[in-house]
This record gives sequence, structure tokens and C-alpha cells, in this order.
Amino acid sequence: MNMWSVRQVLPAVVVALLLAASLPAAAQEKSRMDVVLERGKLIVVTLTTVPPFAFTDEKGQLVGFDIDIARLIATALFKDPNKVEFVSVTAEGRWPAIESGRADMGVGGTTTYPDRAIRVAFTRPFIDSGISVLVSKKSGIKSIKDLDQDKYTVANLNNPQMADRAKRFFPKTKVLTFDTPAAQFLAVKSGRANALQIDTPSAEYWAAHNTDEMEVLPGLLGASQNNGIFLRTGDFKWWLWLDTAVAEMRTGSWYPQYSEIYHKWFGKNPPPQKFYIQQ
Amino acid sequence: MSFTRWVSIYGPTYATALVWTAITALAAACGAIVWGCVLLLIRLSAGRWGARVVDGYVQLFRNTPVLLPIYLIYFAFPLIGLPWPAVVCGTLALILQNGAYVSEILRGSVNAIDRVQFDAARSIGLAPWSTFRKIVLPQVLVYSIPALGNQIVLLLKDTSLLSAISITELTMQAKLLTEQTGAAYEAFIVVAVLYLLLVSGTEVAFRVTHRAVRWL
Repeated sequence: MNMWSVRQVLPAVVVALLLAASLPAAAQEKSRMDVVLERGKLIVVTLTTVPPFAFTDEKGQLVGFDIDIARLIATALFKDPNKVEFVSVTAEGRWPAIESGRADMGVGGTTTYPDRAIRVAFTRPFIDSGISVLVSKKSGIKSIKDLDQDKYTVANLNNPQMADRAKRFFPKTKVLTFDTPAAQFLAVKSGRANALQIDTPSAEYWAAHNTDEMEVLPGLLGASQNNGIFLRTGDFKWWLWLDTAVAEMRTGSWYPQYSEIYHKWFGKNPPPQKFYIQQ
Repeated sequence: MSFTRWVSIYGPTYATALVWTAITALAAACGAIVWGCVLLLIRLSAGRWGARVVDGYVQLFRNTPVLLPIYLIYFAFPLIGLPWPAVVCGTLALILQNGAYVSEILRGSVNAIDRVQFDAARSIGLAPWSTFRKIVLPQVLVYSIPALGNQIVLLLKDTSLLSAISITELTMQAKLLTEQTGAAYEAFIVVAVLYLLLVSGTEVAFRVTHRAVRWL
């Protein structure tokens, strides 16, 4: 076999580049809203390793708070919580799944972030999950301030918010970056890292399942951690409906169903949505 | 944001990642070839049981995905008091698996050596170790260059799995940028082009080497 010459390889590279340049410009003929209603089923892209938002239980079933939120949306569309198909991906697989149209919308501990919102649209947040630090008890770390020493290592997830917060709250701590929450957790469990940062419900879930080895530090990192539904950008009809649905969950007619799901996964009521209601 | 604009903003951030991919691939390639030679030596010199042990080792690593030793060494070694850095763990896992493949490649080349040479070596009084070092190994390595080239290309692509254990090589960099900007196509097309260049460079290096020593 002869060596590939530059002349042979170059066209392939050029085609790849042109393809990339043309993708975001692909025209959108019809709103996803109509596609979904015609299909009679909602296709949702999600993660599978972020308990209690989206994970597989002992029976191998995909469950979690975000999964139930997607089922609530399916109920609103089709009066049936099972008219939904989940597409499981890793964290970085969420965006192409939406852009390629493989899924109608996505959930899964997904935080709204300005850089991301250029490429995909977000609804208003359906939960402010908060970010906590989970530490191994062996490490002797008792506060977020303790953690800020160069003898400690923290396990991050490969998203920009994690890197931002590490710089802000514990700039001296060494950082390891993983591509799944499961690997983050394993890093603390195996002693690779002394601590990890993750959405508060996930941290509490893991601490509750490993009471001998791990605990959640008091206090939160940062003010809010807004998790929204994400979808293809530029589809006003579909975005407006989903955003309305989220608004109805958090402050409107679906508040009872939303509260029920919230209570099921987090063991407490969602924060009051009206300032004059005492919880 | 157009593709070219995206690349002009985020392209430079791949530089360090490219260096990590190149370093781990190079270290693992050298290690795998040396380890493969050692396995070959054991197979040839340690009798039937030596050959069986090497066979078992080769079976074990050839029939399991390389991600398993990567995870196992990185996450399990700290439990037995060996918290080696991620780069060491990852490179070691690649060496262990690719060494198994390399030893099989070299074994194939040993079979291509005329048996008469072994008789000749013994008749002029060469000890087994000298025979291996002066007669067998040089020929085996030269015969094996094309096949080794293929294996090293596979190894180079397998370095992408090191992203699973917190090494920021090319694939991890693409994941990080995808998570930051949501631009998955851009991030991974850049990585594809960089891998293509690295692999093409490796292929050229092996072809040139093979051409240079083929007459031996």
C-alpha cells in the first residue's frame, strides 16, 4: 500500500471542515413541538450516573428526579408518563444529541451556563440544586476553608463551573478532572482525592450510602446551581411550551405534582414559590 | 459562531493536551516494545512452563478491553498503598496490554527466521543469551517493523481512553471544551484532525525506518 499523500488527505480534511461549518446553519423547517405531538412520544437525552437526578436503580431501571420531571412533561403532552424514550449519553454527548435532533429535549443534572446557552437553549431552571463538597472522613476536613490547602486533592467533573468554583473557593487545592460523576466518586472512595464537589442532592445521596467513609461539608459553594431543560436553540414554539411547563411546575398548576416528585427524591418540600407562604 | 472563529478562539488550548497525548503514546510505545521483547525472551528461554505463563498473560490482556487495566491500576492501586500518578498508571496499563500484542508480533517473526541459523549459532559456540541478543532480536525487530507500526498506531489511538482517569490529553480537552461551549462538533473535529496528523506522522516514521533497514 502506498503512503497517503497530502493531495489525497487534504480533500477529506476540507470536506470535514465544510461539514462542520455547515452544521449549525442547518435549516429548521418545522417546530419540534409538532414533531413530538405527531410522533406521540417524547425523546429525552439524559445522563445515567448522577444520583439522585438520573441513575439506574438495583433493577437496572433508569430513575431519578430529572427522569420523573421528563415523565411529568410526557404526561402533560400525552396524558401518559410512559410515552417517553430516554437516550443515555455521557456528559459531553448531551449537546450533539440535541443539535443533531436525535432527542427532543434533555435533562440530567444539567446546569445553565452562558457559554453553553450560545449553542443550546435552556428553559428557566426547574431546580436550584446547590453545590456541596463531599469529603472522605479519613481526610479530617471539616469545612470548605479547611479544604483550601495544597496537601488536599479535589475531584472535579469536566465542566467549566467546577473549574470556576475550584479557583474561587479552594485555589490552593490540587484538582483532578473526571468525565463522569461515577469516576469522581470512585476517586474519593479509592483515596485518589480527598473531596469532590457535586450537586447537593448527589453529595447527600452518596454520603447516605457511605456513612462510614464520607460526609458532606456544611455550607454550599456559590449561590445557585440552576438546572434547566435544554433543547435546540431557535425553536420558539417548542421552547415557549417547555418553559411554560417548567413555570407551571415551580409556581403554577403543576406545583402539587412537582412537590410530590421533589419530596420523593430529596425527602423535603421544594422551597416556597411565593414569598408570603410560610414553609 | 463559525467553525473557523471557534477554532481561532479555542484552538490554542489544545497545545498542552497534544503534548500529553504525544508523551504518553511515546512512553507507552517504547515500554511496550521493551516489554514485548522481555515476554518473547521468557517464551523462548524458560521452557514449556515459561511459554505457558506468557500464553496466559497474552490471553488475559488480548481478551480484555484496555480500559479495564487503566481503571484497575488507577483506582485500585491506591487501596494497596501504591497511589502512582495518573500518567504512570495510564502508561503502565497501555504497556501491559500492548506488550502482549508486541510479543505475539515478534513471535511471528521468530518463526520466519531460518532454523539453520540457530544450529549455526550453536556450532560457533554462542550462548543462548548471545544468540538471542545478536542473532534473533535484530532480525525479529527488522521483520516486525510494519506490524509494530500498526500496533503503535492502535496504541496511539488508545491514549484517548486515558481521559477516563483525569489525564488532560486530546480527547479530554475536547470533552472539556464541549462541556464549556456546547460545541461538540467543532471540539471533536479539531481532535480528529490532530489524531489524523499524529497517526500519519507515526506511519511515515515507521515506513522510513523500514525502508532504511530493510536491506539488513
